Amino acid sequence: MDVSQYLEIFLDETNEHITNLNTRIMELESDPENMDTINEIFRAAHSLKGMAGTMGFKRMQNLTHDMENVFSEVRNGVIKVNSEIIDVLFQCLDALEEYKDNIQGSADEGTNDNEPIIKMLNAILNEGGKSPAKEVPKHTASSGQEGGNKWDHITLDDSQVTVIREAQKQGKRVYGLNVMVQDSCILKAARAFLVFKAVEERGEIIVSDPSAQDVEDEKFDRDFTLIILSDVELDEIIEASEAVSEIEKVVGAEIDLENNKSAHAVPEEREASEEEENPGEEVQSASAEVPAVSDGQAASAAPAAKTEPKKQAPAKPVVNRTVRVDIEKLDSLMNLVSELIIAKNSLVSVSSQEQTDVNSAFNEQIEYLESVTTNLHESVMKVRMVPIESVVTKFPRMIRDLSKKLDKKMELYMTGEETELDRTVVDQIGDPLMHLLRNSADHGLEPAEVRIQRGKPAVGSIFLDAYQEGNTVVIEVRDDGNGIDVEAVKQKAIERGTITAEQAVNMSDKEIIDLLFLPSFSTAKKVTDVSGRGVGLDVVKSMIESLSGEVEVKSKLGEGSTWTIRLPLTLAIIQALMVVVGEEKYAISLGSIQTLEDVPASDVKLVQNKEVIHLRGTVIPLIRLNEVLDVERKPVDEENLIVVIVKKGDRLAGLVIDELIGQQEIVIKSLGRYIKQCKFISGATILGDGEIALILDANTLI
Amino acid sequence: MELSINSNQSVLDEEKSRAATEPIQFIVVRLGEEQYGIDIRNIDNIVKMQRITHVPKLPAYLKGVINMRGEVIPVLSIRLKMGLEADEITKATRILIVKLEEEGNVGFIVDEVKEVVTLYETDIERISSDITAEKGSLINAVGKHNGELISIFDLSAVSLEDN
Repeated sequence: MDVSQYLEIFLDETNEHITNLNTRIMELESDPENMDTINEIFRAAHSLKGMAGTMGFKRMQNLTHDMENVFSEVRNGVIKVNSEIIDVLFQCLDALEEYKDNIQGSADEGTNDNEPIIKMLNAILNEGGKSPAKEVPKHTASSGQEGGNKWDHITLDDSQVTVIREAQKQGKRVYGLNVMVQDSCILKAARAFLVFKAVEERGEIIVSDPSAQDVEDEKFDRDFTLIILSDVELDEIIEASEAVSEIEKVVGAEIDLENNKSAHAVPEEREASEEEENPGEEVQSASAEVPAVSDGQAASAAPAAKTEPKKQAPAKPVVNRTVRVDIEKLDSLMNLVSELIIAKNSLVSVSSQEQTDVNSAFNEQIEYLESVTTNLHESVMKVRMVPIESVVTKFPRMIRDLSKKLDKKMELYMTGEETELDRTVVDQIGDPLMHLLRNSADHGLEPAEVRIQRGKPAVGSIFLDAYQEGNTVVIEVRDDGNGIDVEAVKQKAIERGTITAEQAVNMSDKEIIDLLFLPSFSTAKKVTDVSGRGVGLDVVKSMIESLSGEVEVKSKLGEGSTWTIRLPLTLAIIQALMVVVGEEKYAISLGSIQTLEDVPASDVKLVQNKEVIHLRGTVIPLIRLNEVLDVERKPVDEENLIVVIVKKGDRLAGLVIDELIGQQEIVIKSLGRYIKQCKFISGATILGDGEIALILDANTLI
Repeated sequence: MELSINSNQSVLDEEKSRAATEPIQFIVVRLGEEQYGIDIRNIDNIVKMQRITHVPKLPAYLKGVINMRGEVIPVLSIRLKMGLEADEITKATRILIVKLEEEGNVGFIVDEVKEVVTLYETDIERISSDITAEKGSLINAVGKHNGELISIFDLSAVSLEDN
């Protein structure tokens, strides 16, 4: 059977487990005695092993198997967790990550056996003084005995009995198996399929209750029962079935049709009752069946079964009811919503044009339509939103590694992991954030001795804070390190020929700091493999800008720096102010607009030959849009200028326009690949009357 | 035996020549006094001249963008692109929406759309590459139809152009 169709699920889950392991192992480091954490880690490793095994990724399975062994010993208190073990475990995770990447890229796990890691794991085990072999069956065969054995309630027809008898004559054994999936399991049918597959590899399924077809169609509650013929030990089958993830437990026992003595009597009796044409009648009470489990494993399994389900129950958080949806489907849904909004806008413009002869009912309906489309848009947007958690959870681990590598003590504090952003943004925000954190760790924080000299705590702090602010999401990376040495940056820039000494004199500190975002600019005195290769800040800037966001930095020498990233909540539909310049209409995102002003032409002053206005104590440079946009200015009132004050960070500029139209929800469309976009046009939008208005990116004008 | 081989051969030849003369339909447009043809398979639509939204900082031949069924499409003046004098907008002026492989749809402003003609490969004469290499040339073949010459556009020249 083909398991490739489950590759997606496998990858998704592997991802989750690896992330989970990363977080838990971090926790374990700070609290090595926490049994909940240890159990959680054990469970995740166990699930990973099972999944890898089912999918046929043997190397991955081996590695997780050995990890699991170590944890089993930790759980039993044989091994004490120390930082050495944690290091090895992190290496394991990196190796697993590598397998996962290989699988993602080529559906193959690659050829790296990761022997050194496995050796280290075994060394840990041996130090623990016990061989792992003993432990293996303990956790894999956790068959609990609660209630009756369901396979005893299955009625067999004559032909099935014949098949079973025949098989027994050939020395095969008959097992009953009850498989219980977890309550939270979403893809029950898929899990069941994997169990079927695992079982079929080891034997033949004679009866399935509900029928195989029903199981496949997910027509079962939480469990299904199988009667199988097999050559192998029952343990092996149970182990294989339990290895499938989200299977809560598998219970099994051998069924004996021939030697129906004492407790084993049931199947025979049932057979008899069948012959008496009383099908379906349950002859024996369920409880009487318990001793029927004569397998050696039952005894050892019982204690494990008692402890495991209990621990699992509270450890597993309540899972939301979710559906995984391909992002492309959401994109097309979003496009449709966009079309709808354009259509709605045209209706609005028609109704406003012909207000006199359009009756009020029509207007009412349009208003209704407007509110529905707005809500629809919001809902679709929300569907696309995911918490940034998925990206930031890997950072504590990274900082820990950096701390060791750089030999600096540091601690990462994160807040606002639950802040949500568009999925496409979240996918791309990881790298820039990682660069900034590394930058803080490497360049920002001083070595411990220096920190103590300066009267700071020896352990450096890095903060990652995310929060929503209006229509934008702000992510701040802050450190209490040295801050940016403006003089050093200036010297470096002059040295490199980026600026001349004369230019440097006239540049503000902020302008100097902004030089850091230029390509190939690194001030680290020594180049480490953490940062200082000159790829970093410029990449950060361009990546953030490609997401229509912005990044800025504030710094105080000796006290630390704050990097602030601002990202729009949504990429496709924005609220904009519509303006007219010359013959054309333009849209300016409301997010960047501060105020609208009427300015008498006489208030415009010249400073360094540039037009500026004085507004409530601030000098604001004026930008005449008709000049920037190459359009003829309409012969309008020259006495009064309409100025849109836009802001970028804390800088302001006044855009001179000819006419205001008003606020509107617009759908951002690309100008297509044929037109090389000039940088201050961020796209186009289609207005209600079918005309196109270009969208001005005010950020690039300032 | 020989006979049958020969007849087979002739059948093959016939098939080959038929394949070679697979008819191609061209949309014939007028630019000034000359006629130009565009392979109909590359045409998405033909629309009347409409208001074109100006986009700043573009080469002169790129006139701006129009809205085609909710899609923003750049429009270029073929006349300016070929170094002819600027378009004179009349009632006959049309925008041909042409599908380019890489860049998606692009509009061409033409003076008039005349007809659809069917040409066979034998009616089409390729122009040698040293002539087409000449700057600004968008023509890579000439077709003959009813005694008239139709210059055939090379769309790859339009799309490859780095503007």
